[in-house]
Amino acid sequence: MAVKNHRHGALNPKAQFQKEITLEQVLKSALIADPLKLYDCCPFSDGAAAVVIASEEVATRTRKPVWVLASAQAGDEMCLHAKRDLSRALATERAAQAAYRQAGLGPQDVDVVELHDCFTIAEIVATEGLGLFEPGTGGIAAEKGWTALGGKVPVNPSGGLKAKGHPIGATGAAQIAELATQLRGEAGPRQVEGARIGLAHTLGGNTATVLVSLFGRDRA
Amino acid sequence: MSGLSLKEFFDAVREGHLLAQRCAGCRELAIPPKAFCPSCHGKEWERVELSGKGEIASYTIIRVPPASLAGQAPYAVAVVRMAEGVSLLGRLVDFPLEAIKVGLPVVFTPLIQGDQPLIAFKPS
Repeated sequence: MAVKNHRHGALNPKAQFQKEITLEQVLKSALIADPLKLYDCCPFSDGAAAVVIASEEVATRTRKPVWVLASAQAGDEMCLHAKRDLSRALATERAAQAAYRQAGLGPQDVDVVELHDCFTIAEIVATEGLGLFEPGTGGIAAEKGWTALGGKVPVNPSGGLKAKGHPIGATGAAQIAELATQLRGEAGPRQVEGARIGLAHTLGGNTATVLVSLFGRDRA
Repeated sequence: MSGLSLKEFFDAVREGHLLAQRCAGCRELAIPPKAFCPSCHGKEWERVELSGKGEIASYTIIRVPPASLAGQAPYAVAVVRMAEGVSLLGRLVDFPLEAIKVGLPVVFTPLIQGDQPLIAFKPS
């Protein structure tokens, strides 16, 4: 996960870490909190992002607008010990289901994802919670390269929190900015070919609140 | 009665007692104290004392501590599944770090740091 997100970040001129790392570097890095090592953890970053939201009428007059297809929020207990299942993020599951319902879409329709990979395991749990992979198989999917650029459903082409950086309050808007760039076909060497539907997964407070939004290249 | 304040909860921890709340409506058990029942959103609570017994459900060993705990690392933190069914996060004490395993039985013990009582668990 860390190697993949750094490879993506190396293609993003706005990423904090624009350099590739090796699996050996990751595995040899210092333990932070078992079993997470240095390269499993995202940095805290300085950064800013902005999103311009317009009415349908104004949007149709602008250059390549991106359409909001759904936006849904769900909550959960903040304390780790109060989670019903430590291996799942229930708020992610609920927000994703609500967003898919709003848009009349399913996980199989998603072409590109920006999600909250604060730690490598968080990306695995999130891909499962978003319904991209069955519970327990997100790690295998990542190992097979399905979430890398060129894979079935590229996750975090920006480099994610891990390599693009985590400017806390700006992280969610930065995810949307990346998806807009992707859906406009303007992402250069990190472009997900033919991306039509993008999904943003944004959270705070240890999944106490999760927002899942769907964006379309074309009007719904 | 609408329950237990955080101050009362930690005062009891200091004295070696682990207090929880049981929802008067749906019987959900909650710890530490909450205003609303996470299950039915009720606000009527009964106060109960837990046995303090449980087992390690998951744990980590903090190698790089936050600034407030500088000098204490490495130390272990666990989610403990209490005998009564609720879970609680706490420090593990009196354990050699390499001996910690999921499933080990533990018992609650207060850990006083500075003047602040913290939740901790030791081998039972």
